[in-house]
Amino acid sequence: MAGCQPPAEAGRGRSDLKVYRHSLDQGPTTLDPVQGANVYANFVIVNAYDTLYSYKYLARPYELKPNLAAGFPEISPDGLVYRFRLKPGVRFVDDPCFPGGRGREVVAEDLIYSIKRHFDPRNQPQGAWLWQGRIAGLEEWKAAGSDYDQPVSGLEALDDHTLEVRLLQPYPQLVATFAQGFSALVPREAVEKYGKGLGVRPVGSGPFRLISYDTARVVMERNPHYRQEPVDLAAEGYDPATQAFSGVEAIQGRSPPFVDRLEFNFINEPSASWSSFTKGDEIQLTVLPVEQVDRVLASKHPVTLRPEYASKYHLYAGLEAGFIFTAFNMDFPEFGYNEDPERERRNKALRCAIIKGYDWQGRNDSWYNGLGEIFPGIIVPASPEFDPTLSRASITRDVAGARRLLAENGWTAENLPELVYGTTTGTTERLFFEQFRAWMHAIGYPREKVVQKTYATFGDISRAWKRNQLPLVAKGWGLDYPDAENTLQLFYGPNGSPGSNDANWENAEFDRLYREAAVMLPSEERTRLYREMNRLVVDDCVAITGLSRTRIYLWHKDVIAIPDREILGGFWLKYVDLVPDAAAPAPATGT
Amino acid sequence: MSAGSLWGKAARKFARDRLGMLALAVVAGYFLVAVGVWFGWWASGWPDLTGSKWEPVSASHWFGTNVIGQDIFDRAIYSTATAFEVGLVVALAATALGAVLGAFAGFFAGSWIDDLIVWVMGVLDAIPFYLFVAAVAFALAGNDWSMHAAMIATFWVGTGRLIRGEVIKLRGMEYVEAAHSIGVPETTIIFRHILPNTSHILLVQASVMFVGAIKAEVILSFLGLGIKDGMSWGLMIDESTKEVLAGFYNNFLAASVLMFGLVMAFNAVADALQDALDPRKVS
Repeated sequence: MAGCQPPAEAGRGRSDLKVYRHSLDQGPTTLDPVQGANVYANFVIVNAYDTLYSYKYLARPYELKPNLAAGFPEISPDGLVYRFRLKPGVRFVDDPCFPGGRGREVVAEDLIYSIKRHFDPRNQPQGAWLWQGRIAGLEEWKAAGSDYDQPVSGLEALDDHTLEVRLLQPYPQLVATFAQGFSALVPREAVEKYGKGLGVRPVGSGPFRLISYDTARVVMERNPHYRQEPVDLAAEGYDPATQAFSGVEAIQGRSPPFVDRLEFNFINEPSASWSSFTKGDEIQLTVLPVEQVDRVLASKHPVTLRPEYASKYHLYAGLEAGFIFTAFNMDFPEFGYNEDPERERRNKALRCAIIKGYDWQGRNDSWYNGLGEIFPGIIVPASPEFDPTLSRASITRDVAGARRLLAENGWTAENLPELVYGTTTGTTERLFFEQFRAWMHAIGYPREKVVQKTYATFGDISRAWKRNQLPLVAKGWGLDYPDAENTLQLFYGPNGSPGSNDANWENAEFDRLYREAAVMLPSEERTRLYREMNRLVVDDCVAITGLSRTRIYLWHKDVIAIPDREILGGFWLKYVDLVPDAAAPAPATGT
Repeated sequence: MSAGSLWGKAARKFARDRLGMLALAVVAGYFLVAVGVWFGWWASGWPDLTGSKWEPVSASHWFGTNVIGQDIFDRAIYSTATAFEVGLVVALAATALGAVLGAFAGFFAGSWIDDLIVWVMGVLDAIPFYLFVAAVAFALAGNDWSMHAAMIATFWVGTGRLIRGEVIKLRGMEYVEAAHSIGVPETTIIFRHILPNTSHILLVQASVMFVGAIKAEVILSFLGLGIKDGMSWGLMIDESTKEVLAGFYNNFLAASVLMFGLVMAFNAVADALQDALDPRKVS
């Protein structure tokens, strides 16, 4: 079976290779799971390494499934002890770090070691928040100097294939944390041999192994020792009515990975990505650029392609498992907490007026072609706990109401505080600001008091948020796991800066409910608590929220896949296949 | 200015240059537009959202609207004032700097003063312009005047070299030697007796730098190194890079056509001035 390969491959006489060329809008800065904090790193990491769990390829809403784990864990009645069993016989890829260069078996100690790395400050770890204050003994182990030869009381390998995790308090999301790239199993031999070099030289047991990595591209090849696990489409959540078009039935009963070579092409500019995609013999998947929507789509509700594109490409449109929002930083006395209770009361009125003046529909129309879903609160529509009954007043623009609220609370053009709107540099970001300034001007905010502060990179503005330097935090958040707890924790008091609560909001009732819900398994009662917390955020006017964007993927018809980049991340890439007669696909002539 | 003076002859020659006069009228028209913006007569509502996304040309939006519903005509008109502000500030400051440093270097040619100024010119010439602007912008941490500062710091060099050469020629002339002989201080000789005789060069250089500054501003704004708060043709063209892919050209056309008109007209004025002020042709 032949695939479509770049000329260089053909030149080396490897025309029989099946190559899938994926595209992402940015590249990872490291491939070390201990620092792989973004979606781009995760895409590569979960293909190079194994995690205990992953998500079902085709099930929506997302459902966890065992990956390296032999099944779901046994949980003690009090919810404090989890016993995980690993599949036997799984090997790391062959690498010089192992004796004789032959990859050894993956064992429970590897997961303990990999979690310990997140509590070793020398690694500059990014994923400790997943287990901090949850797994017994980790913080003590860190405080004692992060000695890897010392045990952690809450992590014990009962044998090579059995791991027992002891918790400080029930943590229903624990299994989901073991589906994150942060929890990927790293062999100690590789860390000791390569050190920081592990960031460019992954040594895992995943479906692919790395061939090359630079700022433009990651190239991986099939791991020849990857375990044989035939696909059961029914178990993966296959829905023939909505997914048969993709041809995924072709992978039924076969063991992934199906392509010989997997390429990630990092193309920052959407127009360049579009050109590469429509050229026909380069990248095989792209996110539809906003600028092309009107040209490519026949309709937006539902999303359908014009015939000339439908004949060449597959389409998938789905709401992101995340949202964009703008939080007020309550540590700024001009907008949030203030020593003067009267000023604090007026500050709340000011925040509520700003929220009333914000035009979500305008933002959706300008930037997302009206395809995004606007919703109140911080529980996103992709969460199972989403509350469709919540009042939409906080997302309905009311200029007259905002002006009235300001006037009633003594706010005038003269005494309104300066509103600093931080962005990264760039045309789109400048227009975001101009749009926001115009909305604020409409409710009576003087233009000169709405000020843009620019930062060179996303890292710079992230640091400004973490250091409490901006009164407004405008950002996006993608769910790490399908549980509203993941967005509610963004407003949990103890998570204040430099933690994930950039709003630095502290509400005793919210925090109490959060702690109560945090130890509960999914249930109607937990959903009720989540929704109550959601209402508290809305009622206190802490954030301008929110909108979930619709992502539209297009991919060549010679590719068998259902793409995703939400919670599923890069797990689905091992299921990608090419149609059997795609040996020499004719270049498509897209526009 | 008497009719028989060099300046009088130059003015008459310029007036006879039809293309030059037409170009001057165009520049005057642009200037009038800019003055109207400065006084708030028009285009003050350029930041307002007066329409919806990408509205076509209409009676209410002569050039349509951009992606967030701002009126493109207002933005293009407002950008005229930005162009003049940048052009005038840079041209005047760089010309003054080039004149003074060039005059000192030329008057003291061969001394350490000349060596130092020529060395600084060489250093500035050796740094790629856009790299230099980026460095200045970074050093000034987003200051609104960083672009102006960077342009002035580099644009004066050309004028400085021309003035230095002219002053080396002038300082040997009899009227300068006469001033020396009666004890006139050197700085007075430079500023009162020599520099006025380089004004024809300075005028042409200023007009050339004016155009250069406008073009550089557009490019720098396009690259994200230019205008920080406000509107300019460069920013409009930058916005248009994504819009043209969607088949919407209004931002691009409005900014490009207006910039083209001003740059062409000012180039023609500069050419006409050069012809009119060339001593070999005037007399």
